[in-house]
Amino acid sequence: MTTDHFPEEEYQRMIKRCVRCSVCKWIPQVQIKSQKYASACPAIDIYNYHPYSGGGKIILALAYEMGRIKPTEELRDIVYKCTECGNCAIACKYMNTLEPLEIIMRLREKLVKVGCGPMPKQQEYIEVVKKLNNPYNEPHKKRTDWISDDIKLDPSAKMLYYVGCTSSYRRKEIAIATVRILNAAGVNFNILKDDEFCCGSPILRTGEINTFEEFMNKNLDMIESKGIETVVFSCAGCYDTFKVDYNLRRKYNFKVLHTTELFDMLIDSGQLKLKKDVPLKVTYHDPCHLGRNAERYEDWDGETIQLMPLVSINIPPKSKRIGTKGVYDAPRNILKKIPGLELIEMERIQEYAYCCGAGAGVKSAFPDMALKTAKLRIEEAEDTDADILVSACPFCSTNLQDGIQDSGSKLKYYDISELILIAMDIEPKRSNKTTNEVI
Amino acid sequence: MLKKEILKEFQDIVGSENIDDGDVMTNAYAYNWCIEFVNYMEGKDPIPFSPVPKAVILPSTTEEVQKIVQLCNKYEIQFKVQSTGLGPWNQPSTDNSIILDMRRMNKIVKIDVKNLYAVVESYVSGAQLQAEALKYGLNVHMPGAGPMTSPLASHTSMAGPGFTSPQTGHSARNVLGTEWVLPSGEILRLGSIGLKSNPDWFSGDGPGPSLRGIMRGWMGTKSGLGVFTRVAIKLFPYPCNTKFIARGHAPMYDFEIPDFIRAYVVDCGNFKNLEKIYLRINEEEIALICSHMSNFAIMAIFSYTIESLMDKIAFGGIKKPLLVVIAARTKREFDYKQKVIDLLMEELNLTNIIGIKYDPPSNFYAECLRANLGYHGFIATGGFQSTKGQCDTAALCIRTEKKNIPIKKNYIKREVIVNDFGEGAWMTSYESGHYFHMEVPTLYDQTSLESVKGMAEYMELSNQLDLLKHLGIPFFIEGDKLHDEWGPLLMNYNKWLRKIKEAFDPNAVSDSGFYISGKNQSDLKNE
Repeated sequence: MTTDHFPEEEYQRMIKRCVRCSVCKWIPQVQIKSQKYASACPAIDIYNYHPYSGGGKIILALAYEMGRIKPTEELRDIVYKCTECGNCAIACKYMNTLEPLEIIMRLREKLVKVGCGPMPKQQEYIEVVKKLNNPYNEPHKKRTDWISDDIKLDPSAKMLYYVGCTSSYRRKEIAIATVRILNAAGVNFNILKDDEFCCGSPILRTGEINTFEEFMNKNLDMIESKGIETVVFSCAGCYDTFKVDYNLRRKYNFKVLHTTELFDMLIDSGQLKLKKDVPLKVTYHDPCHLGRNAERYEDWDGETIQLMPLVSINIPPKSKRIGTKGVYDAPRNILKKIPGLELIEMERIQEYAYCCGAGAGVKSAFPDMALKTAKLRIEEAEDTDADILVSACPFCSTNLQDGIQDSGSKLKYYDISELILIAMDIEPKRSNKTTNEVI
Repeated sequence: MLKKEILKEFQDIVGSENIDDGDVMTNAYAYNWCIEFVNYMEGKDPIPFSPVPKAVILPSTTEEVQKIVQLCNKYEIQFKVQSTGLGPWNQPSTDNSIILDMRRMNKIVKIDVKNLYAVVESYVSGAQLQAEALKYGLNVHMPGAGPMTSPLASHTSMAGPGFTSPQTGHSARNVLGTEWVLPSGEILRLGSIGLKSNPDWFSGDGPGPSLRGIMRGWMGTKSGLGVFTRVAIKLFPYPCNTKFIARGHAPMYDFEIPDFIRAYVVDCGNFKNLEKIYLRINEEEIALICSHMSNFAIMAIFSYTIESLMDKIAFGGIKKPLLVVIAARTKREFDYKQKVIDLLMEELNLTNIIGIKYDPPSNFYAECLRANLGYHGFIATGGFQSTKGQCDTAALCIRTEKKNIPIKKNYIKREVIVNDFGEGAWMTSYESGHYFHMEVPTLYDQTSLESVKGMAEYMELSNQLDLLKHLGIPFFIEGDKLHDEWGPLLMNYNKWLRKIKEAFDPNAVSDSGFYISGKNQSDLKNE
């Protein structure tokens, strides 16, 4: 289903307008603080050829539409070697009106339609999701294995914690920390247990829209049938998918929150008490799906009028989706409220943060690219002189920890929920090992 | 595609992952901005694709570049070089070319703080170099194209006027020692880096060989005469305090405005006043930026969308605007500069719009310092290009602007270019002297065939006007056809240029689409 926010005619118009300026390869020009960390795009950093950049993929889209190139493996490899992190779009839209990320996603949809996508490894996990409701090839009934007896759930609660596949099966420490914090704060909530299914994000990002929409409908039907008012996510990917991608396709009437937003509110209201000194130097990695990509498309019901020949304007002005409304403050507020903790920022933060390297099926199809990207981000974190790298996404968690391990870095990784637990003087429960069997 | 055995030889130089001759890759490299009207002007389909290169190769060292060029000579394959790649000049002109994408040559080799220069490879961007130079209180000249472009490309191969030209000059003047892989495959080191004993980069014109005129001349050879791999460029004292902090979110960052910086938009009223105050400001050497632009362009540099451009209506009524930005390191210096400009305005009875009718967002100052203002030219239609390219006295630059207005208005009336009342121009001084630069940015729609055709015709007429009215050489006199039209009127310079090309590139391997081809090649084309 093509959504109204980016009609096909808009796509056709935009792909003719790249000015090939290379702005998409860098973070916004006025934010460049060093040569080393000026870059925005993992794909161009690793593969170097222009088509790997956001602008390069716009050119591919045009060349494809013009019949100059065919749907070949060569094309597929370039188009799928992209984490869809959207950093190119932030840089481009600083001044331009193109939508590089939307164009990349649409190009993938088009390749899927002609049987040229997704990548074989991605197709494998899509089949697994169809069968088992998760991409990790784990039995559906094991989705709740992380739940211990001491966790308090309230079946009548109007708040739902949507755990997501990665925290359910691979990064259980995040799910455990989340529910312990909620319990400690006295929040009434429930989880869907066996009625929770993959949010569909890893499917959507490959361009396989039909399967994604099946899962979207399953999840929305289930949540709506329970009269839920608020859904909370500890996974940035699930959060973005519900908040932005579901909302584009099917309106729903519950509120969505990332746990960092909820925890920040709970700290402010006094329900969560951070009492223990945590004397750590910490740097925070903004997950793409919690930051720039978690900004909703604003409905626009205006008119495009020709101001003068060749110049059209939108009345009222169409809001530019440029990452401004991502969740940046809540995690930083939390970290700043942890006693004794020192937050040191990396050079690339907020809407121009560098990607961890795992998203959009890259971890599965191109594990080398995912690992190289993670190591680039680890290096940036190390350069802050922090001891701890913290983030708020189980998917970033896995890939960044893989990067730490592979590079032999002394950095330690924590999810922000684990740091909160420490500050609450509760020992977090960590899994002993990380695993690479992820998307 | 390349023949397998030739591809193998290139792979042996750079490794198989650094050369690609696939259809997808090569077609992607055939695209560029403005190629559609270049194609139209050459009688081809007005599509945004040039001839498709046979392969794209990514060298990482000067030695690899040398071997690639030698191989091109051996197999008579042309090469086209690009760094950050903005503009049609990066495109091959024949289907017998490979593209050298210099992306892997991305090192800042050296920042010599004491002697005020930096040595960079091809793919260092202006913003990257400025960010590093800033750590030493230094600044770099950046061309109007913006901070995302390559200083090496601008300094060796392109024109290079920029918004900060009153203080930082222009690229042709700022180039020092240069490492150059000639079309023959020899490596030539120009200036002091060419010395046998104690070579260093500090000078481009001796001690050691100086061939700057041949190497780049005024407009650069745009890859028509070999490959530049490393270059030393001048650095300048940063004009104000070096804290460069932009908080908040894109695009309207909350920039911490340095203590001593101030913008003026002077309503000059007429060309006469514009010229007077322009000359006086430059005589006094007080401006970081001193640019004459159209009202439309002034509105654009304060805007991030076409809709927000409409809010800048305060600028609609002013005539012959002049943007001046002064910056200083001390209060005393700042007070002096303000006093001078205030006195000049008083003397000529001119007004400053800034602070009275409009206050710029703080991010405007970040963009002034990072030389990002030119990029605002894309917000109206997404497509623009400059005609003219005058480099002369203020009087001649203004005369050129005036003469061009009726031609431009004619094409505005035909609705093929955007209506800036014919007055769209950008003019700056170089080094605060008597020497000025003027070009005429023109907005068009690259997706409209009529607009592309109109833009191309307008550009040709505009060039011819310069010939008829003796206004000087336009910016983009490139390629055999235009050089051969202009040469006979200008002491047959084209013949000399052609001799240089023949001497340096005997096998015609360095793609001359935007330079000039050797005699034999040119004759062949004519036949």
